Amino acid sequence: MLKKLYTTFCSLNLGLWLMTGVMVTLALGSFSSASSEQGGLNDMPLLFWLQRAPLGYSWWLWLCVACIAVLFVNALVCSIDALRRKGRSVAPHLMHAGFLLIVLAHLLSAYGGFKQQMQLPQGDSFGFPDGERVVVERITGQVGAMGMMSGYRADLRLSDGLHTVQPNQPLFHKGYGIYVKDVALSPVPVALFEVHKEPGALTAFIGALIFTVGNLMLLAQRKGR
Amino acid sequence: MKWLLITSAILFVASIRRPIFVVALGCSLAYLASRGLALGRLPLIGPQDTLAFFSGSLGLMALPFIYSRQTAGVRWFCWGCGALAGLFAALALPFPTINMPLPPILDTYWFELHVALAFFAYGLFGIAALLGVAFLQGGGKQALDLQYRAALVGYSFFSLSMVSGGIWGYYAWGTYWLWTAKELWTSILWIFYSLYLHLRLKGQTWERGFAWLGIVGFLVTLFTYLGVSMLMRSSHSF
Repeated sequence: MLKKLYTTFCSLNLGLWLMTGVMVTLALGSFSSASSEQGGLNDMPLLFWLQRAPLGYSWWLWLCVACIAVLFVNALVCSIDALRRKGRSVAPHLMHAGFLLIVLAHLLSAYGGFKQQMQLPQGDSFGFPDGERVVVERITGQVGAMGMMSGYRADLRLSDGLHTVQPNQPLFHKGYGIYVKDVALSPVPVALFEVHKEPGALTAFIGALIFTVGNLMLLAQRKGR
Repeated sequence: MKWLLITSAILFVASIRRPIFVVALGCSLAYLASRGLALGRLPLIGPQDTLAFFSGSLGLMALPFIYSRQTAGVRWFCWGCGALAGLFAALALPFPTINMPLPPILDTYWFELHVALAFFAYGLFGIAALLGVAFLQGGGKQALDLQYRAALVGYSFFSLSMVSGGIWGYYAWGTYWLWTAKELWTSILWIFYSLYLHLRLKGQTWERGFAWLGIVGFLVTLFTYLGVSMLMRSSHSF
């Protein structure tokens, strides 16, 4: 029984069918209103969304998650099986390991992620879950030649001092990231802030690094063949 | 400098000889350089710039393949690469240039790296599709080996593009992943070429299927790049 299960999960054909399954479900999902900007899928962690969304709306994602879960086991068993045999290159298995870590990272973020958006004028404040206040001390921006905002920033006062956030330069504090998304300077300076928590970010980054190392090794091995 | 883009489109389509292809590529790169110098950044915003960048990327990535001894027997291959690059250069022509400065959120090297690597990958997937056609027309095993190499290098560029896009997204949006049509199709494309690379393990009986998959992959690429932008609403649309 166990041997049969092992052989099943070791199968290349199973992997190919699962990849097809993931592609088909994602393709169907891309036409669903759930994946549109108004679908709400990006406003909360995936698992919370899946619990709340009607099945008629989220079925493609359930199927996709199921395919990825089996693909996870398939990739893991295939790599273990190949590495038990001598003389095999580790490059594809590093790529598998990177993929597995990225799937785990998505699971972490799908469960423990957090996102909150708020619009605050200069001088206002917002609170962290532990009660710490973040005061918006100053909001500034530069208007470019075509009348568009060419740059903007907000100075935030926290318990450990004054910090600046601007596009692509968020402030990381207590495991959260504080992002300034937009700024309006008149009639009073107002900024749109987002507070994010992505528990899977580091795991995803490590997974991406391992995948890239494996990928580069594979390229080097295939060179000249 | 639009005349450079028009010249590159004409020369690419006429590239029955390799030197013509090289001159066409020179014009394409000169056009992109002139746009880059005028904008102070890589020209990657709007349909005109991205189509011209795609055309130049395809030409640049095709260069080692058209000079490879393994494609010497496929007489139409140089013209095929040129026609494909010329088609996208010609498609860029009707669109206006967008000369605005980069919005602050896009003003980072991670964004430029993300988009440029994606276009290098798209170019290589296009070349892989042409090599698939060459194999199906009797181009021999060499064409299939080259198709595999083009797809593997393209897959590597595409994976790096996804990594740099994830890093950019994390610093810009607060997340390395968004559930939008573009991300879904980007994942489909990545999984498609993962499947393609795994299919090689099936051996010689799957050679024709492998060649066909390389052709279908380019259609998925085109839908990911153009179809999603035209048919679906996404934060990635140009």
